[in-house]
Amino acid sequence: MPAHTDPALLAKAPTVVRANGVSKRFVIRKEKSLKERVVNFGRSQKHKDDFWALRDVSFDIKAGSTIGLVGANGSGKSTLLKVLGGIIQPNDGTVERRGRLAALLELGAGFHPDLTGRENVYLNSSILGLSRKQTDQYFQSIVDFSEIEEFIDTQVKFYSSGMYVRLAFAIAVHVDPDILLVDEVLAVGDEPFQEKCMNKIREFQSEGRTIILVSHSAGQVEDLCDRVVVLSHGNVVYDGETAGGLLALRESFEH
Amino acid sequence: MATQAEVRAARLAELPFETSVNAGPRNAGNRHVGGFFTSVKEIVSHRELLDLLIRRELKSRYKDSSLGFVWSLIKPLVQLLIYYVFIGQVLGAARGVPDFAIFVFAGLTLWGLYSETIATGTASIVSNGGLIKKVYLPREIFPLAATGSAVFNFLVQMVVLLAAILVLGQFPISLNLLYVPAAVAIVLIWGVAFAVLLSALNVYLRDIQYLVEVVMLLLFWASPIVYSWSFVVTAVKQHTWLLEVYLLNPISLGILAFQRGLWQAGSQTRVIEGNTVQPVDWPVYMDYRLIGAAIVGLIVLFIAQRIFSRLQGNFAQEI
Repeated sequence: MPAHTDPALLAKAPTVVRANGVSKRFVIRKEKSLKERVVNFGRSQKHKDDFWALRDVSFDIKAGSTIGLVGANGSGKSTLLKVLGGIIQPNDGTVERRGRLAALLELGAGFHPDLTGRENVYLNSSILGLSRKQTDQYFQSIVDFSEIEEFIDTQVKFYSSGMYVRLAFAIAVHVDPDILLVDEVLAVGDEPFQEKCMNKIREFQSEGRTIILVSHSAGQVEDLCDRVVVLSHGNVVYDGETAGGLLALRESFEH
Repeated sequence: MATQAEVRAARLAELPFETSVNAGPRNAGNRHVGGFFTSVKEIVSHRELLDLLIRRELKSRYKDSSLGFVWSLIKPLVQLLIYYVFIGQVLGAARGVPDFAIFVFAGLTLWGLYSETIATGTASIVSNGGLIKKVYLPREIFPLAATGSAVFNFLVQMVVLLAAILVLGQFPISLNLLYVPAAVAIVLIWGVAFAVLLSALNVYLRDIQYLVEVVMLLLFWASPIVYSWSFVVTAVKQHTWLLEVYLLNPISLGILAFQRGLWQAGSQTRVIEGNTVQPVDWPVYMDYRLIGAAIVGLIVLFIAQRIFSRLQGNFAQEI
């Protein structure tokens, strides 16, 4: 049984994220060096292409809900996630949000290969918004969750890829966010560890945290989400129930 | 008893919404003067992270090398040796400059702070691209972390400089010492201003970081580091207005103030190999000039931060 939030509770939950008419345009330039720019000065319009990654996207997200952002490759899911997380700014429209936000767009973003696991735990927790004192407090728990205690004082460049993501995920789930943005990073490590991650996500749901996740796994979305937003070429083509969303997703592939 | 979820929902309902600013030209929220102070407040709230980033920069730089931090000293010491031997002894500059070693090392130390701040600061946003693309942080933190590690190297060199001054029995205990913090402050203000501005521009035009290297090479000779201020005064005796132009460079002014504070021999009459060397004729109104350079520097820093915050909206996609 998926750990969906009680609909009655959700109905009166406060809104935590509000997107109003968000549009994002990327300019694709074909030249980069000074020479090219000088040579093409004045004609530079020809060397630009506009690409709308998001067009007029609006929705509200209530506290405690789990939203799946789905769509074909290049439909704007990750861009939307980055806009929600404040990592890129929209060209038009606004995003309002409240509460502590943690973005898991890439596990171990900010890990420095030359530093040890321990040093990276402190650095990464700080990047994700924990104070030093809080990290001290959670440190043992982070190490226990990652199950790599014996390597914690080894430089992370010597870690296997599995150890790397384990440590990164362990830090991420200890950040205590109100809103968690997740981009395809839930299924990491071996099967027992994946199970552990999923349990942690369910625990997050039961604690009333809001989760916005981008996923290509229909099973995962069905399992976790109580609402699905389907994007196609930067437009929202469906917003609602999970089952309907997955149908709409299949339809969007045909276009 | 309320569940954890209900407690959280109740707390969230009380919080005000934060609006993320957009990069469009219509956006006004980011433009007004208060934006500067909002950014400063944001950076202050991330000071622990800044501290960790500075440590990361320092730790990773010499990780796995057996001499470690000693390397950050070897470079300026070799520079000192080169300038002392070739410019000082071979070309004879030392004949007009008493305690030439201290003079050169003082200049090199402060110049090192400035050039390292600007060089590593300029590259800082691009080299931290992985983080900028994935996590939201106040991005000014990266040029500031670069500045922090430059300050650390500066302090290490400063210890060597002070030790050398003590060993030579030249410790300048006088009011002139007050010029030292003033000089460091000016160099830091201007260094951070350029680091912030250039780091943002470098994202859009990578040529900037190469251009900076070349310009710094030139600017090194535009300040009295390996030649003394007295040479400048003598050289442009006919056109004293050129001195004013020379002093418009805040770094030249900073270096002069630094030397005035630490290089005691410069303010005394000395006899070198039978020649009497008059004390350096320090620029007039130095105190006022320093205050002026600091104020203008703060204005430039303010403008640099405003430009930075206008440009940073597109960092994540341009890197």
